[in-house]
Amino acid sequence: MINDKNSQKIVDIIQNWSRKHSIWVLAYGTGCGAIEIPPTMTSRYDAERMGVRGAATPRQADVLLITGYLTTKTLKRVLRVYEQMQDPKYVIGFGSCTINGGMYYDSYNTIKVLDKYLPVDVYINGCMPRPEAVLAGFGKLQELIAEGKANGAAKYKENLEWYRANQKKVIPTWQRPEYNW
Amino acid sequence: MDLPESAGLGRVHTNKIKIMEKIKANLIEHVKSNFPEVTSKDYKGNRLDLNVKKECIPSLLTYFKDMLGYIHLSHITCVDWIEEGEFELVYIVWSPVEKMKVTIKTRVEREKPVMPNIDMIWRQANTYEREFREMFGIQFKGLVGDEEFLLEDWEDMPPMRRDFDTEAYVDDTFFHRPGREDALDVREEIVKRSREEIPDFAKKYSR
Repeated sequence: MINDKNSQKIVDIIQNWSRKHSIWVLAYGTGCGAIEIPPTMTSRYDAERMGVRGAATPRQADVLLITGYLTTKTLKRVLRVYEQMQDPKYVIGFGSCTINGGMYYDSYNTIKVLDKYLPVDVYINGCMPRPEAVLAGFGKLQELIAEGKANGAAKYKENLEWYRANQKKVIPTWQRPEYNW
Repeated sequence: MDLPESAGLGRVHTNKIKIMEKIKANLIEHVKSNFPEVTSKDYKGNRLDLNVKKECIPSLLTYFKDMLGYIHLSHITCVDWIEEGEFELVYIVWSPVEKMKVTIKTRVEREKPVMPNIDMIWRQANTYEREFREMFGIQFKGLVGDEEFLLEDWEDMPPMRRDFDTEAYVDDTFFHRPGREDALDVREEIVKRSREEIPDFAKKYSR
């Protein structure tokens, strides 16, 4: 094992550099924002040149995109998916619905502020965000990863009780196992 | 072949209207002979409204489907007339042969509403009825299916009723990001910045 602080720093830099260039996005769409993902991925905007590509299962993915409004019903599934993902993992809130509810600010069935329930690393504003904005969001995430600041997963682990309390407030019948990391 | 094209088209059109009116008159006559309490309202084009009592709904729809050829149930809607203390259920049926759209309306009281079930006539009505049971609290006699349909763990009043206070519920249940509650009219600021003017027609939409 490396004990020297400076060598650990070098390892971190290399690690972050490689993580930043292979962002795999889980193929999971909620709300209407998922319609902007195909143009981002295909030939015109070609997100794969930045290392952004789709992943089939939560265990292979690095990024969970919350594309638009999130109903309380979907929140259950999203939490399950997020907790199945392995480190390193990041969350991108996509569209104004995840920021302040957007046009669903008075809907009885959707959550308004995503970062009360999941640790969000990057928000992309817009309704809908164009593929350029999505690419800018991924660029921002890459920057954060390179600087070692995209530590949403660690935040989630530390403040799990606070997140759980918020989640249980909108999900009254909690039928999931209590995880223990 | 000297006639202008529009003359021919116009003739075809008037013919169509005449045929449509004939079908409509025929239809009203048929329905009224079997269901005397039905009141009808005529609309332009291929639309016709019928008002009935809720007890007549299954027999009337069966009659439309089996005897008159209105084999397609396009839609069922529910309207909440809170001032009159009633729900209105609207069944829209369509005949592919006569190209007619018939809207059958019925009223049911708002307190403990019970409706006859029609999912043995059209199976797809089951989905609509389960939705009404959940969203409006209307019970259907002998309806099969789980009590829970679209909403999960809902304990409050059925949310599509007009006396359900959505805003209070949302404030109670969810978080709001600060900055939205003041609901400022940002257009004034934008106009000032870009040195433009708000057009007159748009002023009435300001808060």
